[in-house]
Amino acid sequence: MGKSSKKNKVILAPPLPPDVDDEDILVSDEDVDFVEENREHVHLITGLNRKALDKVVTRVPDHDEDKVELLYEERERKRRAALALKPKDDDDLEVDPVDALPVKTLQGELLYRTAKRARSEDKAKGAESRSDDKDADAKQSSQKECKGRSNKKEDSKLQNVQRPLEVPKEKLHSVVLEEVKEELSADELFEKKKAQLAELGMAMLEDPESNIRSLNDLLIICNDTDQRVVKLAIMSLLAVFRDIIPSYRIRQLTEKELAVEVSKEVKKTRYYEYTLIRSYKAYLQKLISLEKQPYFYLVAVRCLCSLLDAAPHFNHRESLLASVVKNLSSSNDVARKLCSEAIRSLFRNEGKHRGEATVEAVRLVSASVKLNDCQLHPDVVEVCLSLKFDEDLGKDESKEEKLKPKKNKRYQNRDVTKPSEKKKIKKELLSKARQEVHADLRAVSFTLDPKEKKMIQRETLAALFETYFRILKHSMNTSNSRYKATSVFPGGSHPLLAPCLEGLGKFSHLIDLDFMSELIACLKKLSGYTDHQGEIPPDNTLSVSERLQCCIVAFKVWRSNLEALNVDLQDFFVQFYNLILEYRPDRDHGEVLADALKTLLWEGKQQDMLRAAAFIKRLATFALSFGSTEAIAALITLRHLLQKNTKCRNMLENDAGGGSLSSLVAKYDPEAKDPYLSGALATVLWELSLLQKHHDETVSGMASNILSMANLNATQNPVQLSSSNPLEAYKDLSMGRELSKPTHKVSQTLKCKRKRRSKEFVALSTDVLEKADCTVGEDELREKLQSHFAVLRGISENERLRTELNHALSSINMYKEYKKQKKFLCKIQLLHP
Amino acid sequence: MAKKLGKKARKFAHKHLQGGAKRSRKLRSQFNRRTRKDGKGREDDNRLNGDGGSEETRRNDPTMNMNDDVATLANCLEFPEDENELDGDLSDSDGYLSEDPECMYYSDSDDDNVLKECIVQDDLDEQNNEMRLAVEKQKRKLKKLLDKDPKFANFLEKWQLELVNFESKEDSDEQDEMDSVDNGVDSGDKDPPSDKILTSKTISEWCQLVLDEPKAPALRNLLNAFRDACQFGLNSNSLSMQRLQSTEVFYQIISFVLSKTDNIFRALLEISDDDKGKLMNQRNGKKWQDIEPLIKSYLRNSLDLISQLTDNQILTYVLTRLRTSAVYFSAYPSTSRRLLKMLVRLWASGDQNLSLSSFLMIREVASLLPDCLDFCLTKTYNAYLSSSKIVDNRNIENIDFILNCLVELYSLDIQKAGERAVISVGQLSAILRQASKTKGKEDLLKIDNWQYINCINLWVRFICVNYKDCHNLHLLFSSVVQIIRGVAHLLPGMRYLPLRLKLAQMLNELSNCSQMFFPVPSLIFGSLEFRETPQKEQTEKGKTHFSSILKVPRNMLKSRDFQEQCVLSAIEVLSAHFFQWSYHVSFPEVATIPLILLKRLQEQTTIESLRRPLKRMIDQVSENRDFVQRKREVVSFSPNDASSVESFLQEEEMNGGASFTQFYASVAKSRQSRGRKLV
Repeated sequence: MGKSSKKNKVILAPPLPPDVDDEDILVSDEDVDFVEENREHVHLITGLNRKALDKVVTRVPDHDEDKVELLYEERERKRRAALALKPKDDDDLEVDPVDALPVKTLQGELLYRTAKRARSEDKAKGAESRSDDKDADAKQSSQKECKGRSNKKEDSKLQNVQRPLEVPKEKLHSVVLEEVKEELSADELFEKKKAQLAELGMAMLEDPESNIRSLNDLLIICNDTDQRVVKLAIMSLLAVFRDIIPSYRIRQLTEKELAVEVSKEVKKTRYYEYTLIRSYKAYLQKLISLEKQPYFYLVAVRCLCSLLDAAPHFNHRESLLASVVKNLSSSNDVARKLCSEAIRSLFRNEGKHRGEATVEAVRLVSASVKLNDCQLHPDVVEVCLSLKFDEDLGKDESKEEKLKPKKNKRYQNRDVTKPSEKKKIKKELLSKARQEVHADLRAVSFTLDPKEKKMIQRETLAALFETYFRILKHSMNTSNSRYKATSVFPGGSHPLLAPCLEGLGKFSHLIDLDFMSELIACLKKLSGYTDHQGEIPPDNTLSVSERLQCCIVAFKVWRSNLEALNVDLQDFFVQFYNLILEYRPDRDHGEVLADALKTLLWEGKQQDMLRAAAFIKRLATFALSFGSTEAIAALITLRHLLQKNTKCRNMLENDAGGGSLSSLVAKYDPEAKDPYLSGALATVLWELSLLQKHHDETVSGMASNILSMANLNATQNPVQLSSSNPLEAYKDLSMGRELSKPTHKVSQTLKCKRKRRSKEFVALSTDVLEKADCTVGEDELREKLQSHFAVLRGISENERLRTELNHALSSINMYKEYKKQKKFLCKIQLLHP
Repeated sequence: MAKKLGKKARKFAHKHLQGGAKRSRKLRSQFNRRTRKDGKGREDDNRLNGDGGSEETRRNDPTMNMNDDVATLANCLEFPEDENELDGDLSDSDGYLSEDPECMYYSDSDDDNVLKECIVQDDLDEQNNEMRLAVEKQKRKLKKLLDKDPKFANFLEKWQLELVNFESKEDSDEQDEMDSVDNGVDSGDKDPPSDKILTSKTISEWCQLVLDEPKAPALRNLLNAFRDACQFGLNSNSLSMQRLQSTEVFYQIISFVLSKTDNIFRALLEISDDDKGKLMNQRNGKKWQDIEPLIKSYLRNSLDLISQLTDNQILTYVLTRLRTSAVYFSAYPSTSRRLLKMLVRLWASGDQNLSLSSFLMIREVASLLPDCLDFCLTKTYNAYLSSSKIVDNRNIENIDFILNCLVELYSLDIQKAGERAVISVGQLSAILRQASKTKGKEDLLKIDNWQYINCINLWVRFICVNYKDCHNLHLLFSSVVQIIRGVAHLLPGMRYLPLRLKLAQMLNELSNCSQMFFPVPSLIFGSLEFRETPQKEQTEKGKTHFSSILKVPRNMLKSRDFQEQCVLSAIEVLSAHFFQWSYHVSFPEVATIPLILLKRLQEQTTIESLRRPLKRMIDQVSENRDFVQRKREVVSFSPNDASSVESFLQEEEMNGGASFTQFYASVAKSRQSRGRKLV
């Protein structure tokens, strides 16, 4: 439409904006500066013949204002596209009246631009001031024409979506829009915008190369006043970006490159890329700003996550990542889930971004933990569990480069990063920059050389453990003030501890040996162990699950480092021995307990006999008081211990006094705090005889199995019922698993063993049955029956009277009719005498 | 007001006009609404005991809100009911018997003070008087008109004739559809029913005659009088209205017939006990042929009487009397069904005595008539479910009673009951699985309600009662145990402590009957944790006992009251658990962990009132532990010697002399008294 009108030279001008008082127009400082700077051009503007322009502008009033508005936008777009494609404009001074929107001068006067002025400015090459710099063509031309221009700041300023000069224009725009709104209902407008969005989006997807400018239009729609429109706009932009973002990172052009004359094709591509990046950045900024508004929060987060998932390699990843990591601790469950999923996929698909994003993300997590003093949602740290480390690389690293000591130092004084380290990174970066060509090549193939990979992994590990240790330290320092700290996050005052311990357990093989003893000491303290036996530390603040986890982690760390450590883990056994009693089925996680059983007792190679006996006794007692899932885990461990410590099998038999082994402590004390002093060897495992009666067949079977050990030689072992470890057994029997099993149809019919006499009562007690025979007294019965009769009679009497009354009434009414009839008869008689 | 009451009265009469056939059509909806529909009677009740009335309506309310999700649960738990309706093998006659003309009617000397003796006590009589006056007035007016114009009388007569014709046509149409038989006279008896007025003297004479000689024809007359009494008020035009004019007569007839007829029939049939086989054998005999119409009339009219009566005490009386005649009902299966339906309604009504007597009747009929057992089981089960929707302090005993009745009924025929149990437990399990899969709020609500818990409780009780007598109950047993564990697993947390205590009690019961070991303490450890309570206690308003709630309201969680109840209930459950194993060789180990917790709690607690019971418990348990320990130190067998383990301390257990046994008895006792106090 716009095109045809152009051809026919029937140019429609937009209506003149209403006159605005000078005071109403805000003159920003930048505006002032700008005009001040370019004083010589002012005359061009001031000298314009307003009347002549008015004439043109108001010439065709027979179009709807809004149509003209649209027309304006469309035409402007086309014109600009044409400009972009044809850098060398013909000198024909075609004044497109739609360009005639006003521009404000320094004096606040409203002026109307003409193409003429724009052209003249275009011609003034080298001039730094370009007032007509609405969008990309400006940049494009500056790229091709302004070779000598080094004013990058100006450049970036130009890139802003909202440039100073646009402010008044926008303002007028909005005035016009308001008028439009008076005529168009909001819904119509919404529909229209929706259609427009769809159109633009489709165009973008069809041919991004030539429609790249539409991005800008979409971005403009993002500033719409209608929130629904904004939502739609950012969603469609997301779709567009996901689709058109290339699989490489777009690099800033160097001056040199800019200087070189390039072919049309290249120019076009450059323009395309440039616009893409600029819009992408603007879009991200928009998202980040929208994220602060509750209405847009979820949409914005979803877009951010989706973008991160789709384009972790692309430019502006940093802001994207920062925003997503920040939202990991959001109070909104949905947003948090989205973010953690996005980060996890980032960790999983390192191929997409060559691991760089991983490092950045882990660092961001670390920084965020530090910043918030460990008061964050557990999800923040939990995502790190999805990290993957190539173990071979780690080993090579420690052997070849011996970088570990350095790293350890870094751990120990985490707050001070060594300058040498920094330098090293810088150097690395520098060399990377030098080999840009190679990098580009690699970027295409997405392969990393092992050295680089190692580097990234090391960085990630460093950041990860820094986080973990910070959390541990924090838990220790503040453990005394648990009741003071009120936390909004689950997991008490140490929300991050649980995932942190889990992570430590998982990555325990990557922890450095030198650091081990400190870590173990730390864990010991956290597990609640005190040297003073016999008293419950009053300020022990961690939950049982957390303390159990501390024990597990300590053992895992110890074990995964070849058990070569000279670390005494006895205290952990003592602690565990007492923790078993603290376990509560609903409050604590049974799986943690089962895991602890597995890690501490089941997997251990050699057990001290006294200790083993103490644990055997305690586990047997434990199985009596807790549900079948916990019981089976305990029994499996117990059996395992009995198998390994054949001497403990004496406990299965009731020898007088337990023999020579019990000489140490003669009598068993079930409440002893120290397994070594409990005297468990002196007892008999009577529990098993009761456990044989357990309602759960698995448990009773296991109990019988264990009891059968008593008859066997020390070298013999009973038939294995199952080879699963405590944790597996626990999970197998857990209620959730149980309930998901298919139901077996109970089709059996029940049979009674003996015929019951039908008169026999089985459930009702006799004193209840005795009551049955108490009868009502005769007088009472008489009275009640009589009153019943009276009521019945009353009712029927009432009914009878009612019909009688009705009858009488209707009879009286009939009299009238009778009279009428009589009159009628009389008349007839009169007529026919 | 006048009009409203009149309407109600009409409704009342209309309702009772309908025979059994129509009533049974809308069986289900009626079941729920029945208590409401007895409009007049209910009102009467309200006036008599305002309290009971309000309770009734309160209990009715949840039944009326059938659309909430509890109702949907009920629907999925309930057994489908067979809607096919019975033909009435008794209802083909209204029970009128031809009379022997020899029997004399006597006129009562005090017959004229009929109106006086009528107890004037309610609005109805006032209203009647008013209306009587109005009728007089209108009649006078009419008479004036008639006097004025004699010709009008002719006109009026003509019109009235038309009206009568029209009405009768309409009436007969309706009646044909509903139950034409109701109005018909027994085909065998051509004589029209007597319309002589029954006087007190007449009845006394008849009674005397019948007592002297059971075969006397006066029995027929008496039964006819009974019929009239039972149908009194059903049909305003019927003769019974005219025949019965004195309340004394009404009482005489009813009480005599109910208390004596059964013996008379027995004497006539020459059977002495409830032996059904004998009765059945006699069915083709001549004696039966002779007497059958009498029995028929008696049974049928008794049913009418039951459906009419509204007072619980009279109902209880009638049912108790009728129970001896239950054997006759077994000859008429479909009538029995009608009877059962009424009985089930009365059984679930909430009045303890009425409930018991109707249950005994149900059981009697069901055991005599195996065909009806299925019907009974379905009906009673559904009635139990719908009455156990809401549990509070007041009806908790009643629900327990109904539950026991139901178990009693289900234990009559284990095989049939077993099928139903399997279906019902399957439904429970399916609901649980669904909830465990989705963890959705709605699905959890289906578990977290009384119906679900009461349903589990029913099957637990059923299993307990029948465990010893049945072979293959263990599959049902294990699925019930799984459901109990699943519920405890799905509803964790302090708030569900009352529910857990209930589950623990069930486990204790199961453990008791099966002699299996259940780790009951694991369910209630939560209540033995020490928690800080505010020093200042707010006003103790709305003190609710744990037995009537499943979930503790949030505001109660931190209260002292809650703490107290927690610990006391836990002690109860624990002591039951300990009691069961108090003679077992491993009792010391069973008690170890709970004892540690109890001791710790005793040290920490700030509530003084808890110290004593805690200390008592600890002392008792420790004493028993030491006792078992001493005993087992001297034995020589090992834990794997099962038979020796079994026989350990058997003697002592038989004697029951251990102090823990006494302790448990006292705990159970105090628990009962506590429960009663709250009711």
